[in-house]
Amino acid sequence: MSAVPSSIDPQKVARDAVALGLRLGADEVRASVGRADDVQLQRRGGRLERAQEARTFGLSVSLFVDGRYSSHSSSDMRPEAIAALMERGVESTRLLEPDPDRALPERALMGGLDEASLDLDDPAARQRDPARRREELEALEARAIAAAPADLISTTAHLWEGRSESWMCLSNGFEAQSARTTFGWGVEATLREAETGKLPEGYAFEQAVHLSDRPNIDALMAELDEALALTRRTSACASGRYLMVLDARVVGRLLGALLGPMSGAALHERRSVFLGKLGEQVASPRFSLFDDPTIPRGLGSRSTDGDGLLPARRALIDEGVLKTPLLDVYYARKLGMAPTTGGVSNLVVPIGDRSWRAATAEIPEAIRVTSFLGGNTNPASGDFSFGIRGQLLRHGEAVQNLSEMNITGNILDLYANFVEAADDVRLNSSTRSPSLLFDGVSFSGA
Amino acid sequence: MADLISAVSPPSRPEELYFERFGVTQEALRGVMSAALSRGADDCDLFFEHCVISSVSMADGKVNRASTSIDLGLGVRARVGDQVGYAYTEDLSLAAMLAAARTAAEIAMTTPGRAPVNLQVLGLPSYYPVKERWSGVGMERRVPMLRAWEAAAFARDARVEKVSCQLVDAERVIAVVRPDGRVAQDFQPMTRAVVSVTAQQNGRRESNLYNLAGRAGLELLDADRVNRMVNEAVDRTMFLFDAGKPPAGEMPVVLAAGASGILLHEAIGHGMEADFNRKGVSIYASRMNERIAPSFVTVVDNGTLDGSRGAINIDDEANPSERTVLVQDGVLKSYLHDEISAKHYGVAPTGSGRRESFRHPPMPRMRATYMEPGPHKPEEIIASVKNGIYCTSFSNGQVHIGAGDFAFYMKTGYLIEDGKLTRPLKDVNIIGNGPTALERVEMVGDDLMLDEGGWTCGKDGQGVPVSQGQPTVKVGALVVGGVSQ
Repeated sequence: MSAVPSSIDPQKVARDAVALGLRLGADEVRASVGRADDVQLQRRGGRLERAQEARTFGLSVSLFVDGRYSSHSSSDMRPEAIAALMERGVESTRLLEPDPDRALPERALMGGLDEASLDLDDPAARQRDPARRREELEALEARAIAAAPADLISTTAHLWEGRSESWMCLSNGFEAQSARTTFGWGVEATLREAETGKLPEGYAFEQAVHLSDRPNIDALMAELDEALALTRRTSACASGRYLMVLDARVVGRLLGALLGPMSGAALHERRSVFLGKLGEQVASPRFSLFDDPTIPRGLGSRSTDGDGLLPARRALIDEGVLKTPLLDVYYARKLGMAPTTGGVSNLVVPIGDRSWRAATAEIPEAIRVTSFLGGNTNPASGDFSFGIRGQLLRHGEAVQNLSEMNITGNILDLYANFVEAADDVRLNSSTRSPSLLFDGVSFSGA
Repeated sequence: MADLISAVSPPSRPEELYFERFGVTQEALRGVMSAALSRGADDCDLFFEHCVISSVSMADGKVNRASTSIDLGLGVRARVGDQVGYAYTEDLSLAAMLAAARTAAEIAMTTPGRAPVNLQVLGLPSYYPVKERWSGVGMERRVPMLRAWEAAAFARDARVEKVSCQLVDAERVIAVVRPDGRVAQDFQPMTRAVVSVTAQQNGRRESNLYNLAGRAGLELLDADRVNRMVNEAVDRTMFLFDAGKPPAGEMPVVLAAGASGILLHEAIGHGMEADFNRKGVSIYASRMNERIAPSFVTVVDNGTLDGSRGAINIDDEANPSERTVLVQDGVLKSYLHDEISAKHYGVAPTGSGRRESFRHPPMPRMRATYMEPGPHKPEEIIASVKNGIYCTSFSNGQVHIGAGDFAFYMKTGYLIEDGKLTRPLKDVNIIGNGPTALERVEMVGDDLMLDEGGWTCGKDGQGVPVSQGQPTVKVGALVVGGVSQ
């Protein structure tokens, strides 16, 4: 798979960096080495348009010197370059001001899940025939062209695959090694809409940890058909408050709006709408959100987190109550709390028992949001505003494709008005949430 | 030896090949290009990069965090028409570079191509001379700077509760080597400073920030700029306590001079990138030489503005940077071209072939995009609006190239009622359609200002530094993400 032969032993590089850091006077050192093989192919107009391949390395080092802290990274893996990086790193760290909360985690908190049971490293990656990849991409492009509507003007098919490995070595004796594979492909298409002169685009991209779990061409084509249908003859409907069906494919945007204010940095810097709300009701009792790094073959699963902490499934919000902030070792110390994890893995919202269509069948008008355009969230106040596309629903049936509209509000109000989760969870994503329904969302349009 | 590896030092003589210090000889360069052309590619380029980024941060009253990032590597691109083979390596040994070149060469499948000729280092203009390089500014000088910013922020308003400051400097040398013998080497500095503020008022908290960025050294942070950075960070935070939401719906939008160039960037700029047009997927694909805006609208993308974040002396394909007029007096005049699109259209490249790093092939990108001054006074523009909003600061934006729909996020602004600024506003997304919005530009002020912040443009997974600016502009109608009753 690799274009570039290499004699680098990543584990030895990590161990040597730790040893060198200690020799240079650091009290503690964490070193991580990553190695990744990456292939990207793209076809357009019946031929290969772009082929890219590389093997990359990277070293990251955290230095704890006299109660001071700094971090360093380099893609230059020559021993003399690493030595220079470490020397400069230790020297410059001594000139900073002390921070007593900077230290490696307690050894008892550290650990790793069983790599074999997580099953994140598909052996197929190492047996992959490059010619086979090109054949698969050609077949995907051919299907997309054959199924193209008459007004299609451009189709591009993509395939990407990779295998990444990482080695973490700490001066307290903890070591961890992990590997994961990714197999993805997809197609994007642009139409010429005669009535408006617009060139709306739709796409379908899917990926999986194992090649055998990658959705097939039929699934991609069905997804592309729906995406293109949603782009046709769009317009804005009247401004107002509507029940919102947040499609499972884009639910991550508004789940993500909860995560920023949950972070240790936001809580410590007091720019979090969740400040002082731990253990309190911050959402409807119907809403729960979990972080689960333990799902076998999960796109966000991991055997250990960035600090070397043992991963665990946690309720972030349980029946509307804020349960677990996202605390890495540093911010946990700052806040005087136990560390959890600095970043989420697989986000999980429990699945509901009926479709969004059934859930909206009795609703005279609702809006299904299928994609976002721009927008942002203010983590301190919880205010958000996002551009959206989607469909106007009447009694669960789509009657108008929507564009040039915004949703605006506050995440506390939004999640207080959570109604239910649908039954359409997507498994080929680290956001494992079904479509979510919220009442009384403010839409601006015509 | 340590300094050679972990610090960037520009070539001491113009003809010196920078990457010779990493063992890359002229002979090796010719060999690698021969390998890239070995299967019949029309052309190839080698893109070497050495970049050192240093950062120091202050939080909780202490300058207690620093980081360094070193990037070194080579990207090899082989081209057959518009087909691209690409490979890269962080290992600059001859074996690794040849392996990358052979991988890139596989895009072509014919006979060996032309042989590279002798190499000649190009003379370049200097749009970002550095007065004082950061490599000569030690931590002992940086720490007091951040402390002073923090102290000034606390002193400005008693409601300030937390202040964090960050200073990031990057020194980067690129070398683009072509089989026709051209070698373009450029030293590209970048400085960025940020002050973030959290404040409390009656139990409510708000947070905001201000940043400065440019291709310069220490001199970027002069007293005026630093004062403005600190004061704006504090004042923009306090502004949020009194700010609310506008009503929802379509209304006139006035964009204040400066960062409102984000409108141009999203609504027009991306649609002018010629790769989208070459593929026929931009809404501007068939509109060259057509009127797309009123006659008082002229839009420029300029890589030659001294010290600006979007300035480049040379692009990442070794073509000269330039001032490119995209829209002249309302008429579409040029796209932004890399070599592939320029060949497709039969025009000269516009020096717009840019890439994030050696890990990415180049493509047409913006540099500093702005609208030239127009005939109207800012105050008469505001006075002309019965009911609308006035946007003063922004955080981000996005565009759908084909449909032309774009959005930008207004962080702060005001309601306009009967021609006057009234209620403060915050946190609103504004959405529109690019061509329609351009047609609806009703007034352009005479007060062009380039924003001084650190904007980064994302496209196809690559981020590049850009600048943007605009005079005060009135758009007749955009959809404002206000609150419906």
